[in-house]
Amino acid sequence: MTESPRLEMRGIVKTFGPVTALDAVDLVVGRNEVHGLLGGNGAGKTTLMNVLYGLYRPNAGEVLLDGQPASIGSPKDAIAAGVGMVHQTFLQVDNYTVTENIVLGTDVPGPLRLDLSEAKERIRDLSERFGLTVDPDAVVEELPVGVRQRVEILKALYRGAKLLILDEPTTNLTPQEVDDLFGSMRAMVDDGMSVVLITHKIRETLSVCDRMTVMRDGRRVETIERADTDAEHLAEKMVGSTTDPGAAVDAAALGAVDADKVEEVLSSVGTTTAVAVRDLVVVNDQGHELIQGFGLELREGEIVGIAGVAGNGQVELAEALAGVRPLRAGTVEVTGRSMGGLATSAWLEHGVAYVPEDRHRDGILPTASITENLVLGSQRSDQVRRRGLIDWGAAKQRAVDAIAEFSVRANGPGTLVGDLSGGNIQRVILARAFARQPRMLILHNPTRGLDIGSTRFVYQQVRKATAAGCAVLLISEDLDEVIALSDRVIALYQGSKAGEWQHGSVDAYAVGRSMTGLGEARV
Amino acid sequence: MSETLTAPPATPAETPGKRPSRVAEALWLVVPYVVSVVLAFVVGGLIIAAIGRDPIAAFESVLTTSFNTRFGTIETLHKWVPVLLCAYAFAIPLATGKFNIGAEGQLLVGATGGVALGILWSDLPMVVLLPCVLVAGALSGAVWAGIAAFLMTKFQVNEILSTVVLNFISFQLIDYVASHVWPDRGAGHPATTPVGEGALLPGIGQAPPMHTGVLLTVLLVIVIAVFMRRTSTGFEMRAVGANLRAAQVHGIRTSRLAGAGLVVGGAVAGLAGAIEVAGVHGKMLEGMQSNFLILGIIVGLMARGSMLALPFIAFGIAVLEVGAGSMQRTAQVPVEMVLIIEALILLFLLLSDIARAKIRRS
Ligand SMILES: Nc1ncnc2c1ncn2[C@@H]1O[C@H](COP(=O)(O)OP(=O)(O)OP(=O)(O)O)[C@@H](O)[C@H]1O
Ligand SMILES: [Mg+2]
Repeated sequence: MTESPRLEMRGIVKTFGPVTALDAVDLVVGRNEVHGLLGGNGAGKTTLMNVLYGLYRPNAGEVLLDGQPASIGSPKDAIAAGVGMVHQTFLQVDNYTVTENIVLGTDVPGPLRLDLSEAKERIRDLSERFGLTVDPDAVVEELPVGVRQRVEILKALYRGAKLLILDEPTTNLTPQEVDDLFGSMRAMVDDGMSVVLITHKIRETLSVCDRMTVMRDGRRVETIERADTDAEHLAEKMVGSTTDPGAAVDAAALGAVDADKVEEVLSSVGTTTAVAVRDLVVVNDQGHELIQGFGLELREGEIVGIAGVAGNGQVELAEALAGVRPLRAGTVEVTGRSMGGLATSAWLEHGVAYVPEDRHRDGILPTASITENLVLGSQRSDQVRRRGLIDWGAAKQRAVDAIAEFSVRANGPGTLVGDLSGGNIQRVILARAFARQPRMLILHNPTRGLDIGSTRFVYQQVRKATAAGCAVLLISEDLDEVIALSDRVIALYQGSKAGEWQHGSVDAYAVGRSMTGLGEARV
Repeated sequence: MSETLTAPPATPAETPGKRPSRVAEALWLVVPYVVSVVLAFVVGGLIIAAIGRDPIAAFESVLTTSFNTRFGTIETLHKWVPVLLCAYAFAIPLATGKFNIGAEGQLLVGATGGVALGILWSDLPMVVLLPCVLVAGALSGAVWAGIAAFLMTKFQVNEILSTVVLNFISFQLIDYVASHVWPDRGAGHPATTPVGEGALLPGIGQAPPMHTGVLLTVLLVIVIAVFMRRTSTGFEMRAVGANLRAAQVHGIRTSRLAGAGLVVGGAVAGLAGAIEVAGVHGKMLEGMQSNFLILGIIVGLMARGSMLALPFIAFGIAVLEVGAGSMQRTAQVPVEMVLIIEALILLFLLLSDIARAKIRRS
């Protein structure tokens, strides 16, 4: 008799009211296996894993762990059964140390005399064994996202997880951190564990997974061995055919094909200056100067890409140019008007649209409907108001159109945005930004968490906006994306420009070096 | 070239014929209230039985007083007005995430403003004086809450703290006005002299008449509903309450808006004070704030963010409050029992949120 697989999910059905999120899905994850879970936005990946982790109760279907039927009614049961899950947004107590956060919620003797030295030893041991470098005494709020994620993984390991679920873990990580994470995942499966990795990035799947399952519209499309597949095949399974013009460029940005196979993109750069930024200085919330003397000119219809490793001032730059964060020094002119010192609403009215990086925190009203979220930001414009009052009937109609145009997977315009899948939330935010017909568009990691189809759609929308004369600032940690889309690429390092390249003469390695402070000369 | 991406939104997702019917949605809203009220009465009944009284008789008088006699009905409507207005005073700032615990202070200061004009200009005809009294009440309440709003936006002083402190100051203020400025020595209780004829809200019907402040309140209900739902400011308030950061990023001046919410709340409470003066007492007296603050908070919390639900909940609470007195007379159950029941309803309602989240998940 062969050994039973680590996990077997059979015929899982899950509905939310009228929405069938999972339609009889099967999933088998073997021992010592990294299993990729792929699929478009709203395909049901997160929901399937939430069922396994006891967050949702399925309408039908069964779960077997190591061949034994498991009844998992809550995350507590899941943990007891050896299932651990790292969500995209972490629940951590910011002012606690790493150790305290990890131990939190496990059985510790007496809350008053908490002896954590033993726990600390175990954490040190785990982090060494799996290459998850972290200081057990560090306070969590001071840690970068990548390290916080390691804390989350250690939390699962500390509780004895044999099966670890990672929901889109790489979206917030630098390439180096991704490599480290994949190394750790290998160490885990070598140690006898199994890992489920949810991701949109085909290249990542191919590099680390032993097997993958592709989902589409709440169904399992196929489960396939790594050796039997390649990027094109997977892309095809996820979206359907990939043979239309322009696809190659986008596919490259997605890492599905090699960058040098890409032909020239037709750009629509005009001659008029749309945006002029001079000697910009911006401070973060703690008062540190994270942008130091930054200058930039954007012409109408031009796309300028800002490449950089997270934490080099991208957020501050984006917020300053969107009018959300005050300018400490320097000037910003948009179509000839000096914007410094004006209220955010004035920037919006002047045609500046902003797609923030942290969509949950900065982008949406989770308890409001799609219609209301699309109105947010233009509630005082004549587009939305009639005789001084908001015309909700018209707003709803526009929401219906936006849902169709941006293929938001939702029941209707009344659906609460907080109930949408991660990628669908981003579609709503993008629909809102493009609907403003901006003169300047600031996109910060706009396609993070989006599937291939949505990403392509975003690129098309960006090009459509530039054709209409909109200047676009694309700030992204995805170097492939920046290079494929931009007319000009600027490398950002420690708040300053560390290099600049025209489209067509971009050397990815040179950009990479400049981004990490190894470039030759500052420009 | 605006092509749509991927396939059109997944057809299997939308099972035809199983639209979320409006009926089902409405049930989700109403059922928790019904269940909570029933449970609260069951627990309340057990307590009444435990102290040796008859729960059936008690509840009968609580629930029927408002409807059996014209007197009871009018009294209920007169209670409904300040309870509802104080509930708005709590709920409007809450929409922006701010807690106004100062409705009683704002009500008293509003009453002071109204009574001042009603006494000083007592010779003026009603068409002039009555609007002045009501507006003065609303403005005074707004100014009083404005102090808290100013401290909050300028110096980040917590609004819970400041509104509570302002309540205590307002007690001193009306005490001073009622015993030193326009004292009515014959009243035997700190009270001002009566306001002029022209400052009184006309009554409707006979023995006893209903004051027209009730109609004014109905009008205000409509205005507030339209304000919250249809105006940009109302939308911005809800946006701030839903996600402060996102509201800021999208151009909403959040701290200004939160301050405005407090001021509007204060104005509504102040208006309640003026209506009490012009419609019920004809003067200002100590203790006229009754327990409207706590009732307003209970109603505001029970509504769980829905401005539309407030008038109905406030009416229910007014019925209980009016019934409390007759319950004490007929069934010898202390009036405090009603407050316990109200608190129980709120408690069960909050528990139902948790239960509902669980049911919806599975
Ligand atoms: N709590 C909920 N209430 C209603 N609908 C939900 C809920 N959770 C998920 N859904 C719906 O179920 C479907 C699947 O969502 P899920 O989050 O599993 O997608 P996903 O594959 O993780 O997508 P993404 O890549 O965008 O994160 C979506 O259409 C979503 O709108
Ligand atoms: Mg997801």
